[in-house]
Order: sequence, then structure tokens, then C-alpha cells
Amino acid sequence: MGYLDGFRVTFKKLFEQRVTQQYPAEKQEKPVRLHGRHVLNRYEDGMEKCIGCELCAGVCPAKCIYVRGKDNPVDDPVSPGERYGFVYEINYLRCIHCDLCVEACPTEAITESKLFEFSFTNRYDAIYTRDELLVDGDGRPRQLPWEDWREGEDEWTSGWMRATSPSGDVAFENTVAWSGELGHGIRPPEQGQRADGGGE
Amino acid sequence: MSEAPADIEITDPVTITLDGRQVVVQRGALLIDACERNGVYIPRFCYHPRMRPVGMCRMCLVEVDTGRGASLQPSCMLQCSSDMVVDTQSDKTRKAQEGVLEFLLLNHPLDCPVCDRGGECPLQDQTVGYGPGETRFVDEKRHYEKPIAISRTVLLDRERCILCDRCTRFAKEVAGDPLIDFQDRGSRTQVNTFPNQPFASYFSGNTVQICPVGALTAEPYRFKARPWDLEIVESSCTTCSVGCRVTIQSSRNQVLRCLGVDSDPVNWGWLCDKGRYGVEALNAEGRLGVPLGRGRSVKTDDETALEEVSWAGALRTAADAITSALDRRGPEGVAVIGGARLTNEAQYAWVKLLKGVIGTDNLDAQLGDGIPAEIVLGLPLATIDDACRPGSTTVVVSGDPKEELPILYLRLRHAAVQDGVNLIEIGPKAGGLTPYATVAMHPLPGELADLVRAVVGGGAGGAVAGVDPASIERARSLLADTDGEMTLVVGRRSLSEDTGFTADAVSVLVSAYDKVRILPALRRANVLGALTMGMAPGVLPGRVALAAAPDAYSTRWPALPAGRGLDTTGILTAAAEGRIDTLILLGADPLTDFPDRDLAERALAGARNVIAVDQFVNDSVRLAEVVLPAAGFAECAGTTTNIEGRILKLEQSTTPPGTARPDWMIAAELAAELGSDLGLDSVEQIWKEIAELSPSHVDLTWEMLSDPQNRDGLVARGDPLPGSVRFEAPEPTAHRALDSYSLRLVATRKLYDEGTMVGRCRSCAGLAEETALAMNPHDFERLGVEDGGRVTVSSKRGSTVIEARGEAGVPRNSVALVVNAPNFDVGTLIDANDAVNEVRVEALQSVAGETGSEGGS
Ligand code: SF4
Ligand code: SF4
Ligand code: SF4
Ligand code: SF4
Ligand code: FES
Repeated sequence: MGYLDGFRVTFKKLFEQRVTQQYPAEKQEKPVRLHGRHVLNRYEDGMEKCIGCELCAGVCPAKCIYVRGKDNPVDDPVSPGERYGFVYEINYLRCIHCDLCVEACPTEAITESKLFEFSFTNRYDAIYTRDELLVDGDGRPRQLPWEDWREGEDEWTSGWMRATSPSGDVAFENTVAWSGELGHGIRPPEQGQRADGGGE
Repeated sequence: MSEAPADIEITDPVTITLDGRQVVVQRGALLIDACERNGVYIPRFCYHPRMRPVGMCRMCLVEVDTGRGASLQPSCMLQCSSDMVVDTQSDKTRKAQEGVLEFLLLNHPLDCPVCDRGGECPLQDQTVGYGPGETRFVDEKRHYEKPIAISRTVLLDRERCILCDRCTRFAKEVAGDPLIDFQDRGSRTQVNTFPNQPFASYFSGNTVQICPVGALTAEPYRFKARPWDLEIVESSCTTCSVGCRVTIQSSRNQVLRCLGVDSDPVNWGWLCDKGRYGVEALNAEGRLGVPLGRGRSVKTDDETALEEVSWAGALRTAADAITSALDRRGPEGVAVIGGARLTNEAQYAWVKLLKGVIGTDNLDAQLGDGIPAEIVLGLPLATIDDACRPGSTTVVVSGDPKEELPILYLRLRHAAVQDGVNLIEIGPKAGGLTPYATVAMHPLPGELADLVRAVVGGGAGGAVAGVDPASIERARSLLADTDGEMTLVVGRRSLSEDTGFTADAVSVLVSAYDKVRILPALRRANVLGALTMGMAPGVLPGRVALAAAPDAYSTRWPALPAGRGLDTTGILTAAAEGRIDTLILLGADPLTDFPDRDLAERALAGARNVIAVDQFVNDSVRLAEVVLPAAGFAECAGTTTNIEGRILKLEQSTTPPGTARPDWMIAAELAAELGSDLGLDSVEQIWKEIAELSPSHVDLTWEMLSDPQNRDGLVARGDPLPGSVRFEAPEPTAHRALDSYSLRLVATRKLYDEGTMVGRCRSCAGLAEETALAMNPHDFERLGVEDGGRVTVSSKRGSTVIEARGEAGVPRNSVALVVNAPNFDVGTLIDANDAVNEVRVEALQSVAGETGSEGGS
């Protein structure tokens, strides 16, 4: 057969099932614990959870968070309590998505979504401001022009909180220890998180 | 917080057993301090080494056996005695610590994430270090309204208070302003102010610094940053000339707060509020970051407003103004006022430029509101510790230290109250020190020297200068017991009185007692540095008299002034008469600060060109031809000299706004523009040149000053050397006898006034109080004036209508006003050439009835 031998592999592969996907037209499903870009959450009544305590900024190993607090306006408070996060910025050129900020936050204000697909064309766009990080009036992340999203991906914004065990103490087993969120209420634990193996 | 106990020398040693090891400690020292000095830190809340222990919090319980069996005792209340056995690690001690913390946290809100103390909170730290880790308390905690403002700058969150008594003790014991106290009983006990009496103490910020929790927080720093944001450098406050050690804390190139550092010879950790919050002015609106100039060099043309120009252009204009002055009149045509706010190095650079290059001696750092340079430079200097040496006698001939040098006041007050120091206060009127002085005398303006002569000489025994004979006698006997050794705190008593009287009084004291040392009570930040560096007529760097200038100066400097120049009053008079071509204002605002308003106005109008180097455009700067923006406090490194002659390092924390530059650089560049090289290109190198040239600084190397061991500063040689400026007894200043219609004017300072920096500091602005005409109630009847009534007060310069107020501490036959007050400018009444300014006071009959009810004291 001579030279046709050389095409054997080619023809064989032609009829095998393909593993390549037409990314970005087609996408794989993401694992639920994927660390994507952050969101700033709100309570069910719409108040911001962030109190501007800067613990996230303090713990961040990449030093990419910049927070400044301010007194809550008395007649129209932004968050419960005395202070709110007045400036909140994360620089995604530096963030390594370690989620230490999420762990440090005392109010579950900052959590990570599954959204990691963004391609900015300048450095300023890489710095997400408070307005960009805050969830909208329905409790959904805001989509920025350079972000590539699929249907339903914006549901998964508090994955980390839900993946954490409800509480370290056996006495609180099966008791949900996180607060409700605008648009979602109190989210149920995930599969396998409860002592009885229940959950979603 | 630097709250470690001061190191002591062990004079009476005893041996104690501390955690199983034998240590030698001072008998009678507090156990908590003795342990810390030996490396064992005992947790505590209420104990503060600068205040009396009270044993309030019980956190410092340790197991101690004094021979009667081990028991838990508060180590802050226990004095070391021989053979004590102390166990700070025993189970019992640990259980006590856990118990105390669990109790303290019962009602504690755990606001940490929103609490300004979070991250630097002794309660947090000690709970982590010594606490039980868990609480058994599940009920609702006690609630109070979240922070209430107890003064303009202090917020109190009573939920967080652990009742340690630190703030209240500070207010009572240290500041002498007992305006906060414990109220209510049991679990409702709270710290609070009294109704309608805010915690308006000049020292209120210290309570925020020493509160071991976040119960007291500072409004200016509220939610500004968290401890981990801050970059910290140690420096010295340059708001006044006490030179308190501070840490400057900044974030993102903005100074956010200053905290006091415990410097044993100087401030003991305390700061006054003006110094603490004064840094706000650095970021204030209107801060200059670019040079300003005028389109055309016509000063009279109002149309040409100040506008932004380039540095090159601004320096060219300034150099041209100086050159034209030199051409027209020679060096005498150039004069400089100000410079007290500069660092030592910048002062040296400017003096080298002015005296060594331009050759003018018309240079004065004091704005006619100080005392003659010869008193400061020609007499041996004392330290604050000298003035406060237990059992000694200190004479205070100055304005009110509480208003001018607040921390010096705290030290003197402590000395009088706790260390048995006899204060003889000879002030212009009763002030902050009066209640603590052994003898307080308030002679009539113009009669100070007569009083001092009577005290020193003894004599007829009648009243002198309006002071009763008993006080004079008491002062005399106190001084007789001193062996001639005493500290004389001397400053400007009143701005409406000639300094000749002060010089007179000083010379009387100096010749009567042989070991008098001077502690100058001058308020401008680095005025001692300015005088020492030669920013006064007739002086060269190192207290050297121009007339006796050693060769070193003429060899190292291109030129030297031909003869003694003018002081500020002289410069302004000459300028008003058109004899000064170029007037340089070095951070000075004579229109506000010079006592005689009329003369200052005529002078600024009379000078052909005005050049200003400043941080803000104030009234005087507004008239300048060209304005060069200068770096401020915390924006440039260097050294400063405090009232003791102590050289203290200043560190840079942030960068100056825009293209503002350090003052020494401006001097060097101006020299270059004039075609001369100052040869100065770094702060360190300038200091080296100072140390080589100046006899007062010979032994002080930059390395020594930078050594962390010497963070309290090094005192420059304060004794006059051969060739130094000499203090010689002046011709007694004459004063006219009082006619029966006139009253002598006393013009004194208040801490908060309408000055350039205070007005730009958000927390201090608006604290300046309106002045009333204070007079002795005994004079009311004679003048037909009522307390609180409105009167016309007039001098030969001007007149105004103002409220009269009775104040028993004002000498009879005189009236007192506050300078730089928001409602009235005393400068409009003062003639700087009069030894004593006199005014007439007439009641305004028609209005007196209506307003008669308010006021009173
Ligand atoms: S995920 Fe990690 S790196 Fe990114 S902001 Fe949070 S703490 Fe910083
Ligand atoms: S996100 Fe959380 S940790 Fe960060 S400042 Fe806000 S409340 Fe604090
Ligand atoms: S306010 Fe602070 S300093 Fe004052 S008693 Fe309470 S805890 Fe102590
Ligand atoms: S006393 Fe003077 S040096 Fe001390 S903090 Fe106040 S202004 Fe600063
Ligand atoms: S520190 Fe001793 S009782 Fe508070």
C-alpha cells in the first residue's frame, strides 16, 4: 500500500469521538467549588452585608483588595450597624482566587462566584469597583461587558459559604449558620453537608 | 501604644523569686513593673505607668507568696519586698485571668469588625492570649446608644467600656480637667460627662489613646483606616516647641493620625489635641502644591491675581526681586521674617543664603511676639526635667503655658501637684498654672521688673505693681531657700507689653541668683532652632555673635553681613518707610501674627516685592509677588530643636503635595538662581556642615541623632561659650504712669486661635472662642461697667464695641483680650512702639441693659 499507510492514523481519528470542544461557543459545566470572581452580597432586605471592616484586605496575600469604611448615613443606612464599605475594589490582575478574603469576612459579604471568564482590554477594567461587585436588585451579579456568561451561571454566587460545614460544633449540626441573601433567601446546605447526608 | 515602664536605676535592691528564678528589683517598685522589666509581661487593663494604680480591673492578678502562703494579688497594687515568691503562670493565676476576661466580656458587644480599636485592642489581644476561648453567657447584653459625642473630637461607646478608670483618672490626675466621671451604679455604671458640660479638655485625645478598648474613639480618625493599613514612623510634633515625640501614621500617602510616644524627658506619652489633630491641616483644601506668581510684576495692580507658574519661573522672579533689591539698596534692602517652622537644616540653609550669600542681617524668626534672642542664646538653658526636679523652685515669667505649650503645662502641673515643686508664677493674669502655683503674682503691664526687684531686694513691704505684700514676701522666702539654683521659665507675657520689661526682670533675677537656668517658653515650633541657627539679627549659627564671628564663617561662607540688622518690628517699620525692597515671608503671616496690625499692613504695602514661602495662601501671602510651596510636617526629614535645646529627629512619612519642596531645597535653588552654590544637597550633609561649624552642635553627629537609643533626642550645648551671643542687662524700659482714665492692655494667647494652621485643621477650626474684654470686677464700679455689658474700648489706634466680662484674675486697672480671636483682632488696638498699650473703656449705656444677663465668670 505504500504511502497510504501513513494515513491510517488520520482515517482512524476521523471516525473516533472528538474530545475538543468549541470553546467559547460550547462550555463544560464548572465544578461547584470553583473560585471565580467575587460578588458583594446583600441581605434579604437589600442592605449591603459589607461593613467595611477591611479584614478581607488585611488577609489577602496578593494585597489586591482596597477597602475604606464610612459612617452609615443615619436616615438611609447602607448596611446594618455603624459602618459600611464605602470604597471596595479588587484588582483581578493580582487576585489568585485563594478565597482567604471569603473566609475572613465576618458577615459573608464577599463570596466568590463561578465566573472567571473575562478579558479586559485595559488595566483599569481589571480593577472591579464596589458598584461592579455588588449584586443587583435581584441579588444577581452584574454582568460586565467583557465577561462571558452562560445561562444560570449567575446562580452560583455563594458557593463557598455553602461548601463550608454549617458550624464547627456538633451541637449545631444540621443548623444552617449563614444568613439569607437578597433574591435567594437562606440557601440550603449542599449535598453531603448535613450529618444525615441530606442537602441539595 | 508604648506603655512600658521607664527604666530605673536600682538603688535599694531586693531579691524576689519570679516564676522560679531569682531576680533583683527595686524595693517598693510595683510588682507589675518589676516583672515587665525582667521580661515577664503581666496582662493588665487599668494600670498605666504614668498614672496612680487603682486596681480596678483585676486582670493583673498573680499568685504571690509574701511569707503567709500563696494568694492571688493584683500586681499593680503590690510593692516589691524581699523574698516575695511570684508565680505568673500557675493554674490559679491562669484561672483568675480566664475568669476576669469572661466577666469583662459578659456585657461586651464584640463589635470588633466595626470598632476602630479592632486590630490594636488590648482586650482583643489579651482575650486571645489569656482568655477562656468560650463564653457561657447566652443572654441579651446591656445596651446603650451607640457612640455619643462627649466633645468635638471624642466619641464614647459605653457598651464597650470595661470601667478601667483610665480616662477618668487621666482627666482628673494628669490633665486637671475632671469633666468625665463614673455615673450610676452596678451593671449600669458608665463613664459620662456632666449635663451640658462637654469634655472640652485640651488633652482629651490622650484618653482615646490610653483606653484599653474601643469605648473612646477619635472622631477625626473614625473609620479612616485599620491598624494593618498604617505605615508608622516616629517623629516629633512641631505644632509648638515642646517637641513631643509622636508616631505619624499614614496610609496611601496621607497622614491619618498621630499618637504620643512615651519620652521620659519630654512628653511622657501625652499630646495636646492641637498637636494630635494638627496633621489634618496637611491635607486641607487650599494646600499649595504649585508655585504661584503674577502675570506682571506689578504688586499694586489688583487685577493680576496669583496664578500657577512653573518652578523655574517662580525662582527666576524671586531671584530677580532679590537682585534688584541688592542693586538699589545693597543687602539691607532684603529682609526676612519667619522661619521658626522650618527644620534645623532648612533654617541653616536659609541663614547661609541670607547672611552668607546675600549678606543681609535683617532676619527674624520671631514675629514681634517673642522675647529678645539674647535671653535665649546668652544664658544657660534648662531642661524640662530641671524645671520639674522634685523639691525645686521654678519661676514662670511667661504667658500661660497651658495655652501656649500645653505639655510643658502638664509637666509643670505634675511637678507642682505630685513632686512638691514650688512654682512662682508671674503671669500677665491668672491662667492655667495659677491654681497649682505656690505663689501667683500678676503684676500690672509695665511693672514686671519693679515687682521682681521687690521680690529679690526686699524692701518697704508695700504692694508693688498691684501685687500684695504677702505674696511678694512668700516668693522672696522661697527664692531665699534655693541656694540660687533655679529654673526660670521665660516667655512673652503679653503682646501689648514691651519685652524690655521681661529682659529687665530676667537681668534682675540673673544677677541676684547665680545658678539661674532659662527654659524659654516660646511657642513657635522650632523657634529655638531658628535662634540657634542665626535667624535673629546679630546671630550666626551656633549662638555665635555676628560681632565676634570666628574665621570659620568667613572662610566657609562667601560673605557675612556688615553689621547687625533689624528685628521684625524694625523690618516692618523700615518696610513701611520704603526702605525694604524685597521682603521674604518664610512661613510667616505678619498680618495675623504681628501684634501691631497697622504697622504690618503699612509694611506689606510699603515693600516693593514680597516673596512668600508657605503651605497655604493666608492674608499676608495673598500680597506676595511669588509664592513658593513648601513641604510640611511629616513631608520632609530633618531635625528640630525643642525649648530645652534638645535636637529631635523628624522623619518623613508622606510626600509633599504636587511639586512642593522642602525649605532647604528652596533655599539652595534660590541661591543657584542667584549664581551661588550653597553646597547643600541632603539633610544629612547639611547637618554635617552644622556640626562642623556651630560650636553648640560640635559633638552631635548625624549617626548619634539617628541612633534608636537616642530617640528622646540629644540636648545641644546650652551654655554660652566664648564668642556666644551675650545677655546683658538692658537699660530699664520706661513706662508712663497710669492716668486715671486709662487701663493697661493685656493681650494673651489661647491654644486655639485663628492662625493659619489651626484654621485648616478640621477638628480644631471653630474651637477658637470669641474674646470678651476681661477686667477685674473691682474696676466695674469705677468705670460704670456691668458684667456682661457692652463697652467701647479704644486706644489711639482704634476702637471697638465688645462685651465686658468680670475675671478676678485680671490685675486691677488693666483689661485683657485674647489675640487672634474670631470676633476681634486686638492687633488693631496695639502700637508696637509703645512700651505699654493703654486703652479707655466706656460703657455703652443703651445696650448694657439688654445683654447684661449673659456672661459672667
Ligand atoms: S481570593 Fe485571595 S487573592 Fe483574591 S482577593 Fe481574596 S484573598 Fe485576595
Ligand atoms: S467584605 Fe467582609 S471582610 Fe471585607 S470589608 Fe466587607 S465586611 Fe469586612
Ligand atoms: S472609656 Fe475606656 S478608658 Fe474609660 S473607663 Fe471605659 S474602658 Fe476605661
Ligand atoms: S504640646 Fe506642643 S509638641 Fe506637644 S503635642 Fe501639643 S503642640 Fe505638639
Ligand atoms: S491592672 Fe491591676 S487591677 Fe487593673
